[in-house]
Amino acid sequence: MKALNNIFPLVKNETIKMIKKKRFYVILLVLIVLVPMFAYAQLRQAEDKREKFGTDWRREVQQAITDNQNSLGSDRVPEEWKKYRQIYIQQMKYYLEHDVNPREPGGVSFTREFLDNAATLFIPLLIMGVGSDIVSSERTGGTVKMLLTRPIRRWKILLSKLLTLLMFVSLIIVSTCLICYLISGLFFGYRGWNMPVFTGFQLRGAEVDISGVHAVPQWQYIFMQAGLIWFVSMVVAALAFMVSVLVRSTSASIVIMMATLIAGNILTNMASSWTSAKYLFMVNLGLTNYLAGTPAPIEGMTLGFSLVVLAVWGACSLVVSFLVFTKQDILN
Amino acid sequence: MNRTSRIWRWAGISSAMSTLLLLAGFIYAVSDIANPSAEARLQGGSSTHTEKNVKAGAWDVTAIGDSLAKGTGDDTGRGFARRTVDLLNKEGETSKLVNNLGINGLTTEELLPMLEDPGVKYALQHAGIILLSIGGNDLFNGTDTLTAGEHVPTQAEIDAAIDESSKHFGEVVAQIKKINVQALLVYVSLYNPFSDLEGMREIGNDAVARWNAMAMNALGDYEGTLVVPTYDLFTQNSSRYLSSDHFHPNGDGYQAIAERMAQGIARE
Repeated sequence: MKALNNIFPLVKNETIKMIKKKRFYVILLVLIVLVPMFAYAQLRQAEDKREKFGTDWRREVQQAITDNQNSLGSDRVPEEWKKYRQIYIQQMKYYLEHDVNPREPGGVSFTREFLDNAATLFIPLLIMGVGSDIVSSERTGGTVKMLLTRPIRRWKILLSKLLTLLMFVSLIIVSTCLICYLISGLFFGYRGWNMPVFTGFQLRGAEVDISGVHAVPQWQYIFMQAGLIWFVSMVVAALAFMVSVLVRSTSASIVIMMATLIAGNILTNMASSWTSAKYLFMVNLGLTNYLAGTPAPIEGMTLGFSLVVLAVWGACSLVVSFLVFTKQDILN
Repeated sequence: MNRTSRIWRWAGISSAMSTLLLLAGFIYAVSDIANPSAEARLQGGSSTHTEKNVKAGAWDVTAIGDSLAKGTGDDTGRGFARRTVDLLNKEGETSKLVNNLGINGLTTEELLPMLEDPGVKYALQHAGIILLSIGGNDLFNGTDTLTAGEHVPTQAEIDAAIDESSKHFGEVVAQIKKINVQALLVYVSLYNPFSDLEGMREIGNDAVARWNAMAMNALGDYEGTLVVPTYDLFTQNSSRYLSSDHFHPNGDGYQAIAERMAQGIARE
């Protein structure tokens, strides 16, 4: 306990550095600029649909079902997509049977959809924005020698940086939700907190087991989404942290992390036949899929599996970070 | 110094609270996905029931059935459903396409369970005019093998198919009338797509004639039904009205069918 006593001032110091370097503000700015663009695009799309279907969502959902049923018969559609569409059809039918609009417009619904789409790339990119240079910038700037000449153990310095990073990860996710809701509310209104959302679709191949399906109010659903995204972001932060320790140049560490994340997004779209890809962390970032009941990119992936894979990657990168940082020589 | 302390306090407290909140969300999500059979905590959709009693417009069209209803073969993708709507609108009525529920390759037997779907029922209830096209796949099953000339169905096979399918057809009509008794049910009767095919012409003509007579009979039992003949259109003009797959109409073919429908539908 005594050893941890003097970690507090270090974390404080790091936090103030983070704020003073305006990293966090840049991320807020990115959100404030981009979210209105997404919201506007969605608004246009909604207007387009309203022209065709009026306010009648049941017709729209039924047409979506019919269109997907039609594509099932086509030989040109890959089997993999057919599975997705069969699952989608069954879920949409479930919504119709229970007379619940799956896409009721509103600020809360927008936030839910945005989180689903942002979980695998957008939010991890924001995390990298603060994580990638947290150690390497000290070296690029030469301030690392200043840090290490103080009479504090090296692992404590690194730990304080890690804690600060994790603090900001939480802040980024909460502010993403808030900014998303506040801005999209201007476009779609601020209602929809209690709209029912179905969750608990269990997939067995192309069949959907609906025995476990239950409705939760939308705010609870977002609460769960944010929790899952938080776990993913923690792991991404740990990896970015490791890269930041290993690579001296900030820009190089950003490029490495960005390339990995984008590679993960590409892999999830095409790696279904390469099954051992499921042990890569970047294929497992879509934890919210398990909530929505969309099929995992690779056969055999479950929530438990993804959590373990992510946890192992996260833990390993932390071990590597601490080993390397405490042992390595600081030249330059 | 005071300012930095304030930053630290603000950042520290808000991030600690965020972390606790997100951690709770994470635990909740994992337990919810792991034990999904927790009973429903919420009855879905009680608030949206009110808007269900929208009155169906007398000229609003829902198309249901096989690839013809869908409009397969029409390069513009409009099919007879949208073309009929356009013709009605041109004549001064206010018509819109509620839904086009046509599915490629659908048979009478496959249509029956579809009519139980709430979404399909909803679309049918909101139509003043229901356009039905079904039966072609029952009779000429596996059109790919037919056009490739690999397998020509025999008279006996087609007879058996008609007997079997006409029973389903009767049920389909009864079910649609049960869902929406006020709507005008327009049935697109069959044509023989093989009238230019030696050896298939005779058998096809015979089967189509029997089927159409059966359909006319079945629909005659109900008020507010209409059978639109298409047989004559394609007998001599198959090259003009059929698309390149030799089975579905092309845009002109659908236009001809739509014109017949618009002519047959009663006006005030």
